Amino acid sequence: MAAESAIKMKGTHLQRVAALKETRPYSPCRAACPVNTDVQAYVGLIAQGRYNEAFEVIRSVNPVASVCSLICHHPCERACRRCSIDEPLAVRPLKRFALEQASEYRRDRRALVEKTRDRSIGIIGSGPAGLTAANDLADLGYKVTVYDRHPALGGMLVSAIPAYRLPREALKEDIDDVIAKGVEVKTNCEIGRDISMKELSEKHDAILIAVGLSLSRSLNIPGVEGPGVMLAIPFLEDVAFDRKPDLGKKVLVIGGGNVAMDVARSARRLGVKNVEMVCLEGPDEMPAWKWEVEEATEEDIKIHHRWGPKSVVREGAKVKGLEVVKVLSVFDSERRFSPTFDQNQTTVIGADTIIITIGQMANVSFLKDTQVRIDDRGRVVWDPKTQMTGAKGVFVSGEVVTGPGAAIQAAASGHRSALAIHLYLQGESIEGKLPTYEKEKISDMPADVASKIGREPRMKLRHLPPKVRCESFVQFESGYDEKTALTEAGRCRGCGGGAVVDAKKCMACLTCQRVCPYGAPVVSAWSEIRPEFCQACGLCAPECPGQAISMVSYDVREIRDTMASIVGAVEPKRPDPVIVAFLCMRHMGTSGFSLPDNVRKVPVHCTSRIDIIDILKAFECGADGVAVVRCSTETCKYKGIEDRVSARVDRAKQLIGMLGMEAGRLEIMNSDSGAENPYSGVCAGFSGKIKQMGLRTNK
Amino acid sequence: MIVGSQKSIDEIWDMIKGFKKVLVFGCNTCVAICHAGGEKEAETIATLLRMRAAQEGKDIAVDFSSVMRHCEPEYFEPVMEDLKKYDLILSTACGVGVNFLSDRTGTIPVYPGVNTSFYGAVESPGNFVELCAGCGNCILHLTGGICPIARCSKTLMNGPCGGTNKGKCEISKDVDCAWYLIVERMKKLGTLEKLAEIQPARNWSTSRDGGPRRVSLEHIRAYEEKEAANTDSAGGKK
Amino acid sequence: MKSGSNLEKVILSGQPAVTAELGPPMSADGHEVIKKAKELKGFCDAANITDCQTAVVRISSIAAAVLALREGLEPVMQMTCRDRNRIAIQADLLGAAALGLKNCLCLAGDHQVFSAAGRLKGHPGAKNVYDVDTCQLVGILKKMRDEGLQEGGDKLEVAPKFFIGASWTPMGDPIDIRPMNLLKKVNAGADFIQTQGIYDIELFRAQMAKIVNMGLHERTAILGGIIVPKSAMMLKYMDSSVAGVSVPKALIDRMNKAKEAAGDDKKKARELQEAEGIKLSIELIHQVLETPGIKGVHIQAIEWESAIEGIVKAAGLYPRPAFAE
Ligand SMILES: Cc1cc2nc3c(=O)[nH]c(=O)nc-3n(C[C@H](O)[C@H](O)[C@H](O)COP(=O)(O)OP(=O)(O)OC[C@H]3O[C@@H](n4cnc5c(N)ncnc54)[C@H](O)[C@@H]3O)c2cc1C
Ligand code: SF4
Ligand code: SF4
Ligand code: SF4
Repeated sequence: MAAESAIKMKGTHLQRVAALKETRPYSPCRAACPVNTDVQAYVGLIAQGRYNEAFEVIRSVNPVASVCSLICHHPCERACRRCSIDEPLAVRPLKRFALEQASEYRRDRRALVEKTRDRSIGIIGSGPAGLTAANDLADLGYKVTVYDRHPALGGMLVSAIPAYRLPREALKEDIDDVIAKGVEVKTNCEIGRDISMKELSEKHDAILIAVGLSLSRSLNIPGVEGPGVMLAIPFLEDVAFDRKPDLGKKVLVIGGGNVAMDVARSARRLGVKNVEMVCLEGPDEMPAWKWEVEEATEEDIKIHHRWGPKSVVREGAKVKGLEVVKVLSVFDSERRFSPTFDQNQTTVIGADTIIITIGQMANVSFLKDTQVRIDDRGRVVWDPKTQMTGAKGVFVSGEVVTGPGAAIQAAASGHRSALAIHLYLQGESIEGKLPTYEKEKISDMPADVASKIGREPRMKLRHLPPKVRCESFVQFESGYDEKTALTEAGRCRGCGGGAVVDAKKCMACLTCQRVCPYGAPVVSAWSEIRPEFCQACGLCAPECPGQAISMVSYDVREIRDTMASIVGAVEPKRPDPVIVAFLCMRHMGTSGFSLPDNVRKVPVHCTSRIDIIDILKAFECGADGVAVVRCSTETCKYKGIEDRVSARVDRAKQLIGMLGMEAGRLEIMNSDSGAENPYSGVCAGFSGKIKQMGLRTNK
Repeated sequence: MIVGSQKSIDEIWDMIKGFKKVLVFGCNTCVAICHAGGEKEAETIATLLRMRAAQEGKDIAVDFSSVMRHCEPEYFEPVMEDLKKYDLILSTACGVGVNFLSDRTGTIPVYPGVNTSFYGAVESPGNFVELCAGCGNCILHLTGGICPIARCSKTLMNGPCGGTNKGKCEISKDVDCAWYLIVERMKKLGTLEKLAEIQPARNWSTSRDGGPRRVSLEHIRAYEEKEAANTDSAGGKK
Repeated sequence: MKSGSNLEKVILSGQPAVTAELGPPMSADGHEVIKKAKELKGFCDAANITDCQTAVVRISSIAAAVLALREGLEPVMQMTCRDRNRIAIQADLLGAAALGLKNCLCLAGDHQVFSAAGRLKGHPGAKNVYDVDTCQLVGILKKMRDEGLQEGGDKLEVAPKFFIGASWTPMGDPIDIRPMNLLKKVNAGADFIQTQGIYDIELFRAQMAKIVNMGLHERTAILGGIIVPKSAMMLKYMDSSVAGVSVPKALIDRMNKAKEAAGDDKKKARELQEAEGIKLSIELIHQVLETPGIKGVHIQAIEWESAIEGIVKAAGLYPRPAFAE
């Protein structure tokens, strides 16, 4: 009775976990993610070889998942609690791995969404903001049309971000997901030129403006007008749409941000050997990501720091170089951007082409003479609480209003707008109902917990050698292979995926407090397990005599509940014994190693999560032998758990002994998880032993 | 708390094998703490019984569930209907729970899955000790806080006897002599001279020897009875 | 005179008292009791009839005591708290008095798990009683005798007149509680005390000095316990395993020497050790009797009652005083 209803209550693993997690502080990685991707969940699924489920976790909040898996600035990694141990988890590369593994599944699951609502929405702009909104609104059953002035969908992703970082096939996967839902697409269609806002408003019940920042800012310096001086976005668009610009022999990029890096590195790939950059900032002040600067330097791109552009030096019409003036300081005492110069110190940096990459701005000229108000600085007036402009039914999203940021931030904005539009069309109020993505998070790792955690280096990504990669726009970063990915996934401490107590069942017996190696539970009237201490080993849950503890991720009960389907039918005339092997999934996914057919794999987060009842359940389902295989003491992710696991195995042996079964049918074994296929040997050996012992029979 | 230990599967099997639908019903308080009969143990027993049934080719459905306590009606009343779906309840509560539940399940038998041993303390994880025998007439103030009734094998009131051997009781090297402990404790407390007084033969009527016992709190009972009198049979106030 | 028993008379006379021990058989064989009584008669002032010692079922002490009495040997009926509650105990006491028994030694009794130290099956699963303890039992006897009242308060038309004894383990641990332990028994009404076997005479004398200091030797007659050793093995066992008994190494060495003197001859080894044991006992009897505060000796030759005659004679304690009826 109780067991059944408990299962019913729980739903699928993902549903149950998701609901439970909402009631608890987020892992810092998740809290840091602009769309609150449940990193801990999908990394854990990767570690178990459950790649399709990992994909589901990612895709459920992120329609530009493939894009992010390649180019996200990954704030999650900076927030990772592993930082206080060694290095952050490689979250982005793991996402890439999961998406690559799940690609077939992903294509198969694409399907048209039935249009259940007779309202239509026009979305201007197909960048991450527009795409995300389209995705969500299509899911809700609306008719959605996306308009973009470019020949392809994706906004900056397709028109600016160079392919060596973001291959278009990856972007296509994201876009195809959305299109497949039945979203209508109008490319090469610029609002204000091809269609007017007025027409659009007549056609649609609501409009979303997600036009991003499509104009590059220029410099107001002598000589800037004329050939040989380019702006970043048009340049990148040329590159993106294969309109090879003529750059001469030497290119100088003005700017120190990430776009400048893309510009410079694209120029290198267009065959220009001599690419230099000049920026106001010193090496430590540059807005570009450190890794971008390092990679650019590897590609022989020289950066002139702390010089400000003064004039473009021309010989006739032809650009000769850029006159620059020494920067004294970039920021004022309040760290506001306010450069000062030493006008006496100038020099000229020679160049055939100069590309100005100092920022973007929105082009909202098409909104002139509409009800959407534009302020005197050319910005759309909007209400962040409703995502709506001054015009009824006209919403905004993405960088056009939030200013420059990352793709995933635009996507978050897209989610908000989609919900706002939905509420608007339902005639509901919007304020207070849009997600904020600001969540309470688990605090830093307490020092004494950190001291109990072993150091494990982050898995490195391989890059093409600079010489090779500068020859084309081929993607320069390779993804993880399975072994590396699983190793990396194993580094995650599972923050927030750990133990939770059902206070209604807890009788304050203190067992968990005594058992926990990390001092997480504090028992008074009932046990409270402090998430910042909990390492999600799961040692406590099977010890709790009241079964009051569940694990947020991969609850121990799931092992039991799925055992029958894992073991499957046990033929009375089987040639080989049926072995159930509980395998610590540390370093190993399920497909990362192969086992003989007669061995049924039960990957567990750690053998500390195996309950005596799980072992009995395996026998109940017909196993002839049960193996508990764990990594060696040295490689175990959690310190000091093996004795308890052994004690449980010993108790289970006693119990099966009561049923007249040989103790040898159950064994705990170690295997060096560093080995290629670590568990196959021990499992095969054990299987042989059980075969000799004979198969189990019932009357 | 009450301490018990699980009965062997053989013994339980002999009790249940004639039934068709059995519920192993755990109690999540005392017997859970001593790892004998909480929900976890109930599930363990249920699993073992199903396996045993399969081994013997018997068609018996065995489920498990639990409530916080079997010794107060409010706890199991909500699941009473579920309990009635079974033709045997194997309670892993202490004997109190088994009695209490049997009084309320009508024609459905309630059998014990646990041997109830004593009430005691958790000396250390997995170690449960008897420290009080519930004699109904406490004398701990005379014996340095150590109960000779529970902890002296002969329940001596004027111990120790001649059987004390190196601080251990004559019954076993593993059993502390309660009187040895009492003397040492009272030395420490500076109250040893109290022991010179002869403790007279006890009045055991407050103990089990006086027949089944009951404690009634007058003030609570009086209220409850008044309430009952004021309430008509339909449950409304008169 | 409290009871008029022979033992009481000897003690009152000021002469050193001698008691011995008679263990009833584990069967209904009354002749065994009679045989042992014959061996002891004349060589002690009274003989303790044990009450299922080591928690093994034997002829009851009350019945065996009556058999001994008929043989002309004065018994000291032992009464443990283990098997009877206060009702049964008092009923037995009334019966015993009616049958002419005059001495009673009160004991807690070996716990039922004892089962002759594991040598026999015994009844470790028996339910024990321990309704009252030794001290309380002594008090009950005294109340019956001196106040003519049952423990519960009902009047006794004819009170049982017992010479009341209690056991005492002078050197049991915690050793500093032992004098107080004796004090309680004396306060409760013990007329005489028989002690656990003494080998460590130094330690015993130190304990007795405290007793003398407390004046307890004036209020009760303390008979020092002598357990006649049969072999080196027995001495070692008593030293290591019998509560409250420690045997000095020198004594064990003496026994070992006697054993070794026989070489491989098992029979001779036994004889030599028995002889040495008797010799040793005689020495101990002297040492105990010389200890201030001591009024006599309680000689236990366990399952070896025939040895008593020789020991008593050799110790110069023969003949035993006789009193006109
Ligand atoms: C060079 C470069 C590199 C970047 N690198 C990264 C990175 O590595 N990681 C990261 O996370 N983010 C990066 N970004 C930022 C990221 O691309 C943006 O945050 C994101 O694209 C903004 O999304 P959006 O939907 O608001 O607008 P956009 O992506 O700009 O999309 C707006 C779309 O609207 C279209 N449009 C504009 N006006 C009209 C009109 N009138 N009618 C029809 N269509 C119109 C535009 O053509 C464009 O396709 C980079 C940006 C640039 C420019
Ligand atoms: S260790 Fe894992 S769960 Fe914790 S912050 Fe890092 S990625 Fe997130
Ligand atoms: S082990 Fe379970 S019952 Fe015991 S304190 Fe912890 S949560 Fe509560
Ligand atoms: S034992 Fe493991 S899972 Fe349980 S609270 Fe401690 S760290 Fe968390």
